Amino acid sequence: MKILLKLIVFIVPTSFIFMFFMLLTNDKSYPGADYTSFKLPSFKLENLENLDTISNDVLEGDFILNVWASWCITCIIEHPYLMSLTKNGIPVVGLNYKDDRDDAIIWLDKYGNPYNLILHDYKGTFALDLGVTGAPETFLINDGKVVAHYQGEVNEIIWQDVFLPVIKEMEMF
Amino acid sequence: MRYITILIFILTLNIFSDTLYNFENENDEARFNSLIKDIRCPKCTSGSLSSSNAPISEDLKLKIVEMIKDDMTDQQIKEYVSSRFGMESLYEPVLNKNTYLLWYSPFILLFLALSLFIFRKSS
Repeated sequence: MKILLKLIVFIVPTSFIFMFFMLLTNDKSYPGADYTSFKLPSFKLENLENLDTISNDVLEGDFILNVWASWCITCIIEHPYLMSLTKNGIPVVGLNYKDDRDDAIIWLDKYGNPYNLILHDYKGTFALDLGVTGAPETFLINDGKVVAHYQGEVNEIIWQDVFLPVIKEMEMF
Repeated sequence: MRYITILIFILTLNIFSDTLYNFENENDEARFNSLIKDIRCPKCTSGSLSSSNAPISEDLKLKIVEMIKDDMTDQQIKEYVSSRFGMESLYEPVLNKNTYLLWYSPFILLFLALSLFIFRKSS
């Protein structure tokens, strides 16, 4: 009887420790990646380049939505990779986040424009609806639905590990 | 006379001042103030929205004001925030199948400890 009691005293805490260890260390390899799927929030924004009003119905099919700004330093590092994505025929839509129009256009002239279309979100309202906390952030959109979201710089490794599995699974592009 | 003019200028400034967020009634303002204490700042996870001046927090606060004006309930507003910025954006975790262990494990432990205590006394 006494041995049983002692055993319980030992087993209960260790099982709890084990349980919480399993729960808390169940980490994804990329903390910036999020695969929660949700509908693209509705928006009405201006085109950065020609001031046309753009809303949801203009954006159709599958594309990459990249949040950037001229004040964002990591965006400069990410930029060459976006250029190569566009070159490979993947549609990249830019979301210019809380940026001055003139600054953004100067930035594009200086580094080159990887975007098919750029939305100008000066107040950051659409970005807030998307759950953007900063720049750069990248969304993978499949027929009006966000299927992957990555916070941080997108490069070859991130593309291979975070985005490609989803793209292959959903047979996009 | 000059000093009086200067004093008038300084002391009447607050006539033109207004609150940062405009509400239709006091109840809405109280709701806003309690909500921003319950929601974490997305950029600085150790601080609440009310303590944060980060641009993203300012945006989120303006959005919350807008949602309060649109007659959304506290529950709906919290759902909006947690769907955008993750479950961890609420200070009080919601109770669902992923979090029941977090909520009930103290009671389970307490029950086990108590039963052990009673069991030991009787034997």
